[in-house]
Amino acid sequence: MLLILLTIVFAVLRVIPGDPIAALFAGRAPPDVVAQTRHQLGLDLPYWQQYIFYLGQIFTGNFGTSIGENYHGKSVLAIILDKLPATVELAIGAMIVASIIGIAAGVVSGTNRDKPSDVALRLYGTIIFVIPVFWLGQILQLIFAVDLGWFPAQLRFSGLPFPNQVTGLYTVDSLLQGRLDMFLVALQHLVLPSLTLGLVLSGFFTKTVRANLLRTVNADYVEAARARGIPEGRIISRYAFKNALIPVVTVLGLQFAILFAGAVLTERTFSWDGMGMLLLKSIDSADYPMIQGVIVVYALIIVGLSVIIDVINGLIDPRVRY
Amino acid sequence: MEWLHSRLVRPFRPLIRERHTLPGILSWIGLGTLIAFILVGIFGPVLVSIDQTKALAYPILLPPSLQHVMGTDGIGRDVFARVIWGTRTSLMIMAIGALLALVVGFPIGLLSGFVGGKVDRVLVLVMDSVYAFPGLLLAALIAAVIGKGIFNIGIAITVIYIPLYFRVTRNQTLSTREELYVEAARALGARSWTIMLSYIAYNVVIVIPVIFSLSAADTILTAAGLSYLGLGLEIDIPGDWGRDLSDAQRFLGSGIWWTSLFPGLMIILLTVGLSFLGEGLNDIINPLLKKERA
Repeated sequence: MLLILLTIVFAVLRVIPGDPIAALFAGRAPPDVVAQTRHQLGLDLPYWQQYIFYLGQIFTGNFGTSIGENYHGKSVLAIILDKLPATVELAIGAMIVASIIGIAAGVVSGTNRDKPSDVALRLYGTIIFVIPVFWLGQILQLIFAVDLGWFPAQLRFSGLPFPNQVTGLYTVDSLLQGRLDMFLVALQHLVLPSLTLGLVLSGFFTKTVRANLLRTVNADYVEAARARGIPEGRIISRYAFKNALIPVVTVLGLQFAILFAGAVLTERTFSWDGMGMLLLKSIDSADYPMIQGVIVVYALIIVGLSVIIDVINGLIDPRVRY
Repeated sequence: MEWLHSRLVRPFRPLIRERHTLPGILSWIGLGTLIAFILVGIFGPVLVSIDQTKALAYPILLPPSLQHVMGTDGIGRDVFARVIWGTRTSLMIMAIGALLALVVGFPIGLLSGFVGGKVDRVLVLVMDSVYAFPGLLLAALIAAVIGKGIFNIGIAITVIYIPLYFRVTRNQTLSTREELYVEAARALGARSWTIMLSYIAYNVVIVIPVIFSLSAADTILTAAGLSYLGLGLEIDIPGDWGRDLSDAQRFLGSGIWWTSLFPGLMIILLTVGLSFLGEGLNDIINPLLKKERA
């Protein structure tokens, strides 16, 4: 799967009719600069040579050097690793929000089948899922940042000196440094972006948890537990819920695609300086090696996560064997 | 043509039958919304002058009033006019994206499901990989390489929806292939092509409205997302919800809400309508499909 994804990225960047370098410069550079750039990147070689070179680059972890104005001459990989933690922090924050809201809503919905609360939550699940994440972000900014002033609307950190870089996750770094004030600042900045992205993702969680809970609530072993007189609350939490979560973990794998796509938009809305912003800047500055590097890293993350999900699945569901 | 007609119209029959159930109601709300948007897309631009969508047509950042029901934006354009013209743009992109995805995804899915074996396995693997990759990123990459414009964005979006059309068509083909009447045709000595085209394709076409409505909401969101990121349409397009939201961003800090609220509401109305239609149709026409998605 990794190889296929890498090949698709290669195909999009090189084989699609038209000249990516010229398109990226969009008439802002004279033809000889375009030709020179293309030569410099080896884009005038036959495709098979480029392909081998490209795969070689990826597997040796050498993504080349930037040709954009922002990071000219710097190692692509170093820049990406610098920006990656921001995206990871946002993704984790969003996942936490999405899990809490989504699972809670799904359980309420699934245990009150066809009652008003169920119908309302199902509507919530459908609607929140198709709300443009960047618009939701803007509205939350208007309410909580501009109107109420509770949270900052932009950036990852402000007011204090930045925490020492260890993991790159500002919330974690500030705690490692033992600075609670820094942690609070970092957390404050993280709240709105995570909430935005998490809310959109929670729609899917709500639906999946509900559907699976409905299936397990009426399963034989749950009936058996009921027959033994175990209280309903305990049945839901101990018997039905646990088994309802297994398929949720499975579909979680597909959610990462939506998570990272959403993260790009959310980063833009909140000027969150992560991979998404890096990609956009690179496209703007026609930084071909950087674009390729960022997309490849996204692909690696997606594949890596889906492997992890498979492993977790094997651990929590004894029926799964590899 | 006769059979295509009967296949594409057939979904509406259960839709009428089921009009009192929840999926039926959802579908009708969704269908109504879609039709309303199509009417706005066709007639709106006739009624609202394009001049109002141009920069400096009015004073900047006027709040909503009787003259400008949705106010004016940061460069003096009437938000209402932009929103109306944007409807046409969005629907055009959606139509191009859906049509191209159908033209490519449907035959490949049909072939893959019918032929089976190694071809099928390879195609499924490729399509699943594309499906697992963040669609917006892939579309952004393609858009950056092929350039801006309604048609180009349509193409960029198509690539991410081909896997969906492929997957559903293939699954439907797989189950149809085992039907008795296909078996009978084979026993009568019908050629493979005949079986595939006139026995199987005939019965698989019914899933198209479902796939369309399931992917359409996403298409709108992705197109708006691309525009929001500045990778979408040319700057002189008279209406572009995503770009309007992107432009609105700068003024949020001063509490200017109308330039952001209204384009967003339009997107939501349309996408919610489409997903109601999709989920409703899905429940009505094809309980089987739903199982596979879950």
